[in-house]
Amino acid sequence: MKSMFKTKAILVVAFFNALLASTVVNAAPPDAITGKAKAQICFACHSENGISISSDIPNLAAQPPLSITYQLIQFRGQQRKGGGMEAITMALSDQDIRDIAAYYAGLPPPPAKSGNADKIAKGQQIAGTQYCNSCHGPQLQGQKHIARLAGQSPEYVTTQLKNIRSGVRIDMDGTMGSAARGLSDEDIEVLATYAASLN
Amino acid sequence: MKLKTIHALMFAASMAVATLATAQAPAGVPAIPATWAQGRSADGMNPSLAPNPPGISALPADEIPVSKLKVPAGFKIELWASGMPNGRSMTEAPSGTVFVGTRFTGNVYAVVTKNGKREVKTIAKGLHRPNGVAFANGSLYVAELSRIIRYDNIEQNLDNPPAPIVVFDALPKDEPHGWKFMTLSPDGQYLYFQIGTPANIVVPPYTHAAIVRLSLKTNILEYVATGVRNSVGMDFQKGTKELWFTNNGRDWAAEDLPNDTLNRLSRPKGMNFGYPFCHQGDFLDPELGKGRSCDEFDKPEMKLGAHVAALGMRFYNGNMFPAEYKGNIFIAEHGSWNKSKKSGYQVVRVVLDAKNKPVKLEPFITGWLEGDTTWGRPVDVQVLKDGSMLVSDDETGSIFRVSYAK
Repeated sequence: MKSMFKTKAILVVAFFNALLASTVVNAAPPDAITGKAKAQICFACHSENGISISSDIPNLAAQPPLSITYQLIQFRGQQRKGGGMEAITMALSDQDIRDIAAYYAGLPPPPAKSGNADKIAKGQQIAGTQYCNSCHGPQLQGQKHIARLAGQSPEYVTTQLKNIRSGVRIDMDGTMGSAARGLSDEDIEVLATYAASLN
Repeated sequence: MKLKTIHALMFAASMAVATLATAQAPAGVPAIPATWAQGRSADGMNPSLAPNPPGISALPADEIPVSKLKVPAGFKIELWASGMPNGRSMTEAPSGTVFVGTRFTGNVYAVVTKNGKREVKTIAKGLHRPNGVAFANGSLYVAELSRIIRYDNIEQNLDNPPAPIVVFDALPKDEPHGWKFMTLSPDGQYLYFQIGTPANIVVPPYTHAAIVRLSLKTNILEYVATGVRNSVGMDFQKGTKELWFTNNGRDWAAEDLPNDTLNRLSRPKGMNFGYPFCHQGDFLDPELGKGRSCDEFDKPEMKLGAHVAALGMRFYNGNMFPAEYKGNIFIAEHGSWNKSKKSGYQVVRVVLDAKNKPVKLEPFITGWLEGDTTWGRPVDVQVLKDGSMLVSDDETGSIFRVSYAK
């Protein structure tokens, strides 16, 4: 009984911290409506509804706004490369990036994708043992600058995890590099299947 | 008494682990965590304790709320320079140019003062975690994650910097705690920097969790101290010429343990400050400390608070601040993430007594933290030749200046 109370208390604290995290002072408030206009250049690949046209392109719908912002800034600074994003982001200002992020963040999340039940169960187990949930959230929904994996294209997640594991994609502070280092190809496949199965 | 408290804490922690394991973790979670996630406490799956978003963009000057920063009476704080995404460690060249390293953006900046106005120049891009900067013999030395590079005659070529010369590149390539703070020894012969531990809490390879120095004459690397988890701030004391440094305590142990620390190299070589076995001089690691004793290790000079992220530190040897500030240590606290109640996010002042012992720790600049929200994070302090002090903030990409007038 007492321990249940403790768990609840932790979750309540987590909830309020999540609320507060979103109130960190920003320059001009990000504007999703302006963002939609600015995001026209993204639609050809990521679509207006944030569900991408191809499995090797990430879904952006319902990503945490800071997650999109951080990736776009890293593409612009060429710390992250791929998909021609370095060129596309070159002309974007910080405000453009924040507005585009606000637009995609406000869209309904991608639908869950059904998959092999054994793989999904295995993926869920690995998400726990590898502490994926400790940053990406209990349903891999993302938070702060940390990406939403729920409903993400499994091909995309697989490619990115392998790139992070090999060092082709450099992570921000070493956490993801460390986390990916111990994953086998099979681990990555089932993690991606599990993530895609969430909504 | 203290031991009892710790035991009680550890018991409470293990109870809570059991609670969470049943409450949150999916069925079938084995008890062996991955290396990088070793040592997680009861809150190890609590997403609100995940790292803060790092500062990677810069706020426009007119949007930086400098008026929120508070300093003691008689002091003044102003925005000195801005527009430096992720600007962190600082060093001042004899000419007055201030060089600024970064951790996430890969840039190095030079701030030049002309007719009382600051101009920011990006002198390097695309470097790998160029956090450490030091100036010697007309050259700027930059510590990247796994190598030390040098820009010769940089002051004459700020608008068209030369390609860097690689000085030393046989350093570990681990990303966690791989970014470096670097400083020049008083005799100008050595660059001192740290090689941080490659995970939160792990028995590190002997190459890691150490402070090292590189001879500018021979290019030979020497280990000067071990058992240092990750130091991102150090300075030599005037007179004694001893190296003092900050050290960041491990995460995921507890809300209020262990402390970050202020340390002194009382012997030029061979000291061991205890990581990963003993933290803050008197807190045995709950797992790795088994069978060990804190008496085996050298002690810190002062505890600075848990999770405050004590980074840049400098002795105050300037002539502008009141006399009681002479010889004090200023420390930038980047601020906590692995803690539910935020702490740090300030610059503190440490006063030493006549026996050179730290006796007082008090806030000097506050205001980045408002309730439970923050708008900036101080990283480094740098005392300028005129006696004023700069503070870098990697969240707003700016530098503030503290001055004193009677």
